[in-house]
Amino acid sequence: MKKLDKRLIRTIGHSKGQFISLVVVVIVALIVYVSFSMIAEQMYNSIFQYYRETNFAHIFVDVSRIPGNSVDELLEIEGVDQVQGRIIFDVPLRVEDPNEKVNARIISDPGTEDQINSLFILEGEGPSPGTRTTAVLKQFFVGRDMKFGDTIRPYIGGTEYSLQVVGEVGSPEYIYLMENEQTLLPDEKGFGVIYVPEEFAQSAFGFQGSYNNIVVTVDEGHENRVDIIADEIEDRLDRFGVRSVITRENHMSHSVMIQEVDSLEMMSTSITIMFLFVAAVIISIMLSRIVRKDRIAIGVLKGLGYDNKQILMHYVKYSLAIGLVGSILGVLLSIPVADMLSGVYIQYMNIPLFTGAFDIRYLFYGTLLTSVFCIASGVFGARSVLKITPADAMRPETPKAGSRMWIEGFKALWQRLTFSWKMVLRNISRTKRRAFFLILGIALTYAVTMLPVFMSTIWNTLFDRQYSQLQKMDYSIDFNIPVERNALLELQQLTDIEFIEPKVELPFELVEGWRKETINVIGVQRDTIMYGFRTASGRQIELPSKGIVLTDILARQLQVQAGDTIQINSVLPGKSDKTIQVKAVVEQYFGKNAYMDIEQMYDILEERDIATGALLMTEADVVPDLKDVKNIRGINSVQDMRDAIMEYMDLIIASMGSMMIFGGVIGFAIVYNITIVSISERMMEFSSLRVLGFDKKDIFRLVTRENALMTVFGIILGVPLGYSICVGLVDYVSTDMYTIPAVIEPFVYVYSAAATLVFVFVAQLATYRKITNLNFIDALKNRIS
Amino acid sequence: MSENILLKAENLSKIYQMGEVTVAAVKNVDIEIVKGEFAVILGPSGSGKSTLLNILGGMDQPSEGNVMMNGESIIGFNDKKLTAYRRDKVGFVFQFYNLMGTLTARENVELATELCKDALDIDEVLETVGLGDRKDHFPSQMSGGEQQRVAIARAVAKNADLLLCDEPTGALDFETGIKILALLRDINKKYKKTVVIITHNVPIGDMADRVIKMRSGEIIEIKENENPIDPERIVW
Ligand SMILES: Nc1ncnc2c1ncn2[C@@H]1O[C@H](COP(=O)(O)OP(=O)(O)OP(=O)(O)O)[C@@H](O)[C@H]1O
Ligand SMILES: [Mg+2]
Repeated sequence: MKKLDKRLIRTIGHSKGQFISLVVVVIVALIVYVSFSMIAEQMYNSIFQYYRETNFAHIFVDVSRIPGNSVDELLEIEGVDQVQGRIIFDVPLRVEDPNEKVNARIISDPGTEDQINSLFILEGEGPSPGTRTTAVLKQFFVGRDMKFGDTIRPYIGGTEYSLQVVGEVGSPEYIYLMENEQTLLPDEKGFGVIYVPEEFAQSAFGFQGSYNNIVVTVDEGHENRVDIIADEIEDRLDRFGVRSVITRENHMSHSVMIQEVDSLEMMSTSITIMFLFVAAVIISIMLSRIVRKDRIAIGVLKGLGYDNKQILMHYVKYSLAIGLVGSILGVLLSIPVADMLSGVYIQYMNIPLFTGAFDIRYLFYGTLLTSVFCIASGVFGARSVLKITPADAMRPETPKAGSRMWIEGFKALWQRLTFSWKMVLRNISRTKRRAFFLILGIALTYAVTMLPVFMSTIWNTLFDRQYSQLQKMDYSIDFNIPVERNALLELQQLTDIEFIEPKVELPFELVEGWRKETINVIGVQRDTIMYGFRTASGRQIELPSKGIVLTDILARQLQVQAGDTIQINSVLPGKSDKTIQVKAVVEQYFGKNAYMDIEQMYDILEERDIATGALLMTEADVVPDLKDVKNIRGINSVQDMRDAIMEYMDLIIASMGSMMIFGGVIGFAIVYNITIVSISERMMEFSSLRVLGFDKKDIFRLVTRENALMTVFGIILGVPLGYSICVGLVDYVSTDMYTIPAVIEPFVYVYSAAATLVFVFVAQLATYRKITNLNFIDALKNRIS
Repeated sequence: MSENILLKAENLSKIYQMGEVTVAAVKNVDIEIVKGEFAVILGPSGSGKSTLLNILGGMDQPSEGNVMMNGESIIGFNDKKLTAYRRDKVGFVFQFYNLMGTLTARENVELATELCKDALDIDEVLETVGLGDRKDHFPSQMSGGEQQRVAIARAVAKNADLLLCDEPTGALDFETGIKILALLRDINKKYKKTVVIITHNVPIGDMADRVIKMRSGEIIEIKENENPIDPERIVW
């Protein structure tokens, strides 16, 4: 082996701690990059592959009722490739436990070849025409622990039917399955999709020869005109009571999946870059220190006839070694990590074509990426090698020019400082750039730590805001057929209800210019106690007697503000369109709705004193008492939603935990390495102090004090940094379906500060060993190493 | 005669500009080093000895003047050629031993010989400097004299024609110093190397073929010794 390489290996051996901590940073970067990017890409590809194989629709239309031949007329529209009518209804399912509320979405299956959204059979078969069989969506099949041959019993229009389970299927339409936009998270036990033969659906729901849902595919050449085609479809179907026309882009499952892929990609990129960047800065600081320390050795090497390239390479090899060892270990570790992560995604994502097979290319990319970062930082850090001349070897190290600091100008203050504090301040001002990096590093650690702490509070805040402040009811009931207001009194006799209010919740199309959204408008009493509306600034408001109140997501999508006038179109056929003024925009974190006074709703409907549902406040569990009421279509319990989310808490906490580790790794690597560099640079100074009678503890205290001061500054800087990262994240993950309140509780700041202090403390402790092991006499004796 | 001249410097000056003050470390120096000779540069501290030697060894650039090795000027050399010059033509012994602390004695020598095409046998050279049994020791485990001997072995093993030594005895006690000088004399004789050493120790001049005296950057005297004495007989 070349003697220079031997020297390098021994140098690394003498700075194991630094080497290892940097290798760990590189490993983390690589693992994150390889596993997350790989899964993101594969997921993206497999989603679209899935779409192609199942002929996934481009446009989804909900109508009140449309005859089959009118569906076929849509083929006349330019660009439309295929159309297919379906019958879709959400119905309750009878299950063993009478207290359990289970809903199923029944979707008719035409049983023909090359249909749109064809079923992806995982096991068994599709529902066969002429039988009472059903194929069940995988999530539901698994969630309810079904077996082939089981019977499921939907309750349709007062009749209980029996359907035999014959297949377990996947569907591109429900890769991500949620009952509706209000539920926020999947509930695989409580809601699922079942596919039934078309003629069964038609007879059970009374839809002979007609449909209430249409799916449309678009010619390959017209894929960029989907929006225009959707508009045309909407116009044509007006008389059939269009409830919604949704393009694939806005389809819930699709947009959740794309968002998932995007955020994986974003996470992969940002974490990888952050880690590599931190590693690169530490490497270049460390190497430039080593080169400065090795000035004489470099002069000697040049004197012996080594050229610049050889010597530069000698030092760059240090960083290359970090990159190489980090890459090898990172590659080895990323295989099981990617495997595990793929497993999670296979389980949660329901993309049958996603296999999570390991993609060797990413190992190559990852290694290349880390090598480039390490080499670049190595060259950058060691570049001053070039400036050293052989004659430098003959000169003793010139002491760094000491100069007065601005703080010394404040005589009164300066004189009051103890000797140690003066040393601390002098040293900081002498190495300003490094001090700055240390502060920045601690700020980064703080911010990276704050993110998971903040995120673990999101759900609570979200729930608190949505359910304790905005929607105060315990249950929301929907009827099959609207009832007289007075009929609500009957409910009160059936069960123990504290307060009850009527609501009218109906779909309307809200239009502003070319923007339109079909959403549920909810009419409630002006003096409702079930809702507490607040504007974005937190001001409480009452429902106006005239006009409409929009939730902020909706207002944003329509681009309207309080005071604007919009058009409100009934989706029922034959009703005329009206205009209405937006009186206020209120905060609602998930689901998009509009609210108005129930009296005004009656005016619009030209019908008085009806209710499509009821809002309840009660301590009691009303589900068992009400579930047999014929006219009740659904009972939404706030508690159930809370529980559903709690089930996800473990997963959330686990991923938060790993984020914390990221913060810890960064914090440790920065503080430890910078401290070691600073110690090695001041060997002479410390040695002289030892001679003066300082002991090791005194010197450790000096270093600690310096870092403590930096930590204080770092945390101060970390607060705004962490805040902006959290707010940025909230902005990023907020979708059409939900927004996350950017409310950061004070304790989040405190916890993050505590965690940062722990990381700094651990790193500091690790340097203590270095200080006690340093041989100060050697330092004074040896000119070169 | 001129084919006997290994190294020749003409009108060499090195001027340091430090703010207002100019320091002329070397002033208009003319010097010739004859092949195979043992020359001593003598002068008080600060007289420009190291500066001169550095320039001769291709370690430093003069402000003015010319240096010729075997009739070829090294002044116009680019970095690459200068590196080659240092690698192939000169063995340099530094004033402070300047060994690599993380390499053993043998490895320190190998560090230099790895670069050369026809290096001498390392073990033999280490044997010659009397370190046959300390090859695997690290510098921190050796005395100053031993370290200096490693430094000399490192310069000699390269098998370059010219050996430049900056104060090889400066940091050593009398007896060790004498041993080192004897060693250099042996190398001069045994390997037929041209040796130039620097010292501020006047008596050492007695062992040289030629003594070059410097003061304030200038050469004030060049003296040929008809009968150089044995290093063992030097006293100071
Ligand atoms: N880089 C430099 N910048 C400014 N002045 C320098 C520099 N290097 C050397 N000098 C000056 O040049 C003069 C000659 O220095 P040099 O090192 O050659 O002396 P020397 O004869 O080797 O002394 P010593 O016996 O102490 O080693 C001294 O006055 C020194 O201060
Ligand atoms: Mg000198």
